[in-house]
Amino acid sequence: MTAVRRRTRSERRSILLTALAVVVAALFILPALWLLSGSLRPSNEIFGTLSPVTWRTLVPSEVSLGNYLALLSGPFGRSILISFAVCFLTVAIGLVVSALAAYALSVLRFRGRGAVFAFVVISFMVPFEAIAIPLSQLFSGWGLTNTLLGLVLPGIGNGLAIFNLRQHFLSIPTSYREAATVDGAAEPRVLWSVYLPLGGAALANSALLIFLGQWSAYLWPLLVVSDSSLQVAPVALARTFGEYTFDFGQNFAGAIVLSVVPALMMFVLQRFFGGLEIASGEK
Amino acid sequence: MNRRHVLAAASGIAALALVGACSSGGSGDSGDSGDADWSIPDTDPTATIQVLGHQDADGIQEVIDAFNEDHPTITVEYESVPFDQLNSVLDARIGNQDGNPDVFWADQPRIPALAARGYMTDITDQFAADTGVWDPAPLASGQYDGRMWAVPIANSTQLLYYNVELVEAAGDPLPSAAIEDRMTWEEVTERAANAVEAGATNGLLFGQVNRYYQLQPLPMSLGGSAGGTGDDLLTPDVTSEPWVQAMEWYGELFAEGLSPLGVTPEQSDAEFLTGNTAYMVQGPWLLPKLTDAEFEWGVAPHPYFEGGEVVTPTGSWSLAMSAFSDEREAAAIFMRWMSVEHGGGYAANYASPELPASPEGKEQYFQRDVFDSDAGQLAAEIIDFETSNTAVPRLQTVGFVEFEEIIGRAFSDVANGADPAAALESASSELETAWAQYR
Amino acid sequence: MSRSSSAVSAAPSGAQRRLGASPAPRRQLRRRKELFWAVVFLAPALVAIGSLRIAPTISAVVSSLYSGFPGGVRPPVFSGFDNYLDLWGNEAFRETVLRTVVFNVIINPLQVAIALLVAVLMTRRIAAPGLWRTLVFIPAVVPIVGSSIVWSIALRPDGPVNAIITALGGRPQPFLTSPDQALASIMLIASWIGIGYWMIFLISGLRAIPSEYYEAAKLDRAGPIRTFFQITIPLLKRPLLFVLVADTVANFVLFVPIQMLTNGGPQNSTTMQMFNAYRTTYTYSSKNLGAAEVVILTIIMLVFVALQFRLLRDDDRAAKGTS
Repeated sequence: MTAVRRRTRSERRSILLTALAVVVAALFILPALWLLSGSLRPSNEIFGTLSPVTWRTLVPSEVSLGNYLALLSGPFGRSILISFAVCFLTVAIGLVVSALAAYALSVLRFRGRGAVFAFVVISFMVPFEAIAIPLSQLFSGWGLTNTLLGLVLPGIGNGLAIFNLRQHFLSIPTSYREAATVDGAAEPRVLWSVYLPLGGAALANSALLIFLGQWSAYLWPLLVVSDSSLQVAPVALARTFGEYTFDFGQNFAGAIVLSVVPALMMFVLQRFFGGLEIASGEK
Repeated sequence: MNRRHVLAAASGIAALALVGACSSGGSGDSGDSGDADWSIPDTDPTATIQVLGHQDADGIQEVIDAFNEDHPTITVEYESVPFDQLNSVLDARIGNQDGNPDVFWADQPRIPALAARGYMTDITDQFAADTGVWDPAPLASGQYDGRMWAVPIANSTQLLYYNVELVEAAGDPLPSAAIEDRMTWEEVTERAANAVEAGATNGLLFGQVNRYYQLQPLPMSLGGSAGGTGDDLLTPDVTSEPWVQAMEWYGELFAEGLSPLGVTPEQSDAEFLTGNTAYMVQGPWLLPKLTDAEFEWGVAPHPYFEGGEVVTPTGSWSLAMSAFSDEREAAAIFMRWMSVEHGGGYAANYASPELPASPEGKEQYFQRDVFDSDAGQLAAEIIDFETSNTAVPRLQTVGFVEFEEIIGRAFSDVANGADPAAALESASSELETAWAQYR
Repeated sequence: MSRSSSAVSAAPSGAQRRLGASPAPRRQLRRRKELFWAVVFLAPALVAIGSLRIAPTISAVVSSLYSGFPGGVRPPVFSGFDNYLDLWGNEAFRETVLRTVVFNVIINPLQVAIALLVAVLMTRRIAAPGLWRTLVFIPAVVPIVGSSIVWSIALRPDGPVNAIITALGGRPQPFLTSPDQALASIMLIASWIGIGYWMIFLISGLRAIPSEYYEAAKLDRAGPIRTFFQITIPLLKRPLLFVLVADTVANFVLFVPIQMLTNGGPQNSTTMQMFNAYRTTYTYSSKNLGAAEVVILTIIMLVFVALQFRLLRDDDRAAKGTS
């Protein structure tokens, strides 16, 4: 006789576990819902419903986009554009660099390939933050502070993206390449016509990696850009948080805007490339 | 990936060490900061200078336009950086060791520290003839190690403002603006408590909450030092009895709900202007904002502790010339115009009233509209008296940057409920470490 | 994440042998061409990694061996290990290091354990698992700046968290304004967005465990707890290791909530190494000392990571009896 106390496995869905799952999910999602609802109502209403907690805390009395409009028409709007520009540039350059390197490390055969791969792996074991400060000083010496290039460059050498693409390229049968080279194609052509088209999901994955890393970057732009008209969104948002603590509504709206972009990206890429493994980015 | 590969990778890294070593550790030439073979010319050169400051660019444009009327051949490019970033931006710019900026806004108590770092050009000889123009405290603030490094363009003091309606609601008589009737902090505390009981949101609000500028008079009024003693003022002195007592009083304000937590220096004026605060300690820059106030207000002199000294905060901004400026003569002409000519071109032409650093400037200053009202007139008298008699400059030490930051954090901790003696002890030992490199 | 494709390595050499009748010169030409393209293709990445990762590391190490007057204008002087000795003798710095280590020893296993438990929960037979999973994951797309904003307002003395606490009969807590609770509050801010993130990796790791193992366990009459510890966890080693290491790396250099919300306080209770290095370099303008702090931070973190690799690999070997 199985003990009734234990949660025995059964073919039916467990009500108890479902309830537990609901509770856990609620714990995680409630602050996000509060954030969302706060962004849709004026600041003084957020204040007014902070305590005690009633259903009013979560539900705005009327939904308005006022916070978003005010936020985006101010300097934060510009910083969002800067963030997009930086991210797209980084993805464009970063994908090229990573795909080339991944191809060389997986398909081409040459002496020292293992050493170079080891080099790449070692390089991304050290987190970027650890070298951000010395790097920013080098950039200062090279005249790259307060430039778009200065914001973009550190994001292009992404070891994880290279690793990712290499894994994928390794799984493509070499017979394809043999066929292409026998036909007289040079390596760039092989990469372009054979590997890249087959690399859909991995490329999307790597693009997402690079994008996410740059989108949420905070320390680096803080160190490298002092001109507020060239600052990226996370830093710009943090600045307004310090200065205008009364205007929580706009801060909340900013946080939502910052979150929506990566969420949308992941969603879209999942749709198109399915089975996407959500890879890590810089936090 | 085997050992051979790792070794090969490591040697590749070592090769790059050359690249790394070459671009670090080295230094550019440090620029000479003390030579007398240039002087302020009689005829203006044609030049462009870059100026870095924290004031709003539009406001400064009016000043620059006035400057160009007197000196049309010198073009001034002004760049504005928010106050809390000014110091780090300055560090980065001067670190580049090029001609940008030529002139920068220097916080007066930081001048010894910046001069010791080699950021500034020695201007002793070029401004020797002008030293009699300024009030004593601002003049002294620009001097370090026997040389002169910066010229003062503004000064400051503090007043006690009050909201008439809230004071009357509390049943207290309105404070007198007469110097001889200066209130004590003990009186103010009691009044603030009465006001809060009668319904005011805040009893007492400090303009520059948790900042050394604002709180320096508290321990000094009880007989304490400015925070440092010994040679070059590099021995911390923040754990003395007066310091602890002053901080106990300060912490109580927040613990008893007389002062609000969470109002930052940038928000304090707005807070007072909402009309929910009975008493506020703030500088003269609040006066123009009060002309639009929806409540009746008054001024009184800055309080002191019973039986103690009368001490008021002072000091503001000066202009300094970068050690790497490539347009020294033009920069000096600009600096001279801003601080000396017409009683200080900056204070004379800046729309929002800035307390000038010279007696001539102050005379013009008190002519301003903002002093037209009765309360304004009283304010003018108080300002005049304090700047000439009770102002005590902040600690003038090479280690001021560290001092301001460490003690500011201690003040913040006390306001948030930390034990004052412990917070000051901890600050003192941090200071010991931070100042060790200067001794 | 790291699914090994070791099967692939067998194929190329086989294919080559089939074509193996090529005379030596042609093979050499081919080899040279491959090398040429390898250099061309690898150059951008290697230059990027070299100049953007290696160079600053070297630069930090070199800079840490000099002592300079704050500000960086006066030329620094070579001083060997003086900076390190000064830091070692500085009580505040030692406390910062200890604080960082303790923080990581607590938060990393905690986050991974919670993520694992949630992942297990979400892979049981429950109604609408995809929905709950998504809800748990959503905070992970909120950047840490956003999480800091939300939680700093939620944890205010007059905020909703305290409102709930008082409604349940407790007393309002100071959270971020108390030296005893501030660091824990920072852990909360980092965990709210981290746990959902790591959960995803662990879910795919859990799904990769072939069901035969579970069926065998059932036949053995093993209960859920025994199954968990003897089947699930050992087979989850790779993803667990990845998650633990990646999480440690991220938490070791935690910076944003400290700089935004607490400025290292109250009373330095949230001053951790990354923030301390930033403050030393930028607020106090002591570049060389800051460089030494950065070097120490990196070394300690690498030790942590290496330890974790060791621990999980040894366990692995012991459990499987193979190497």
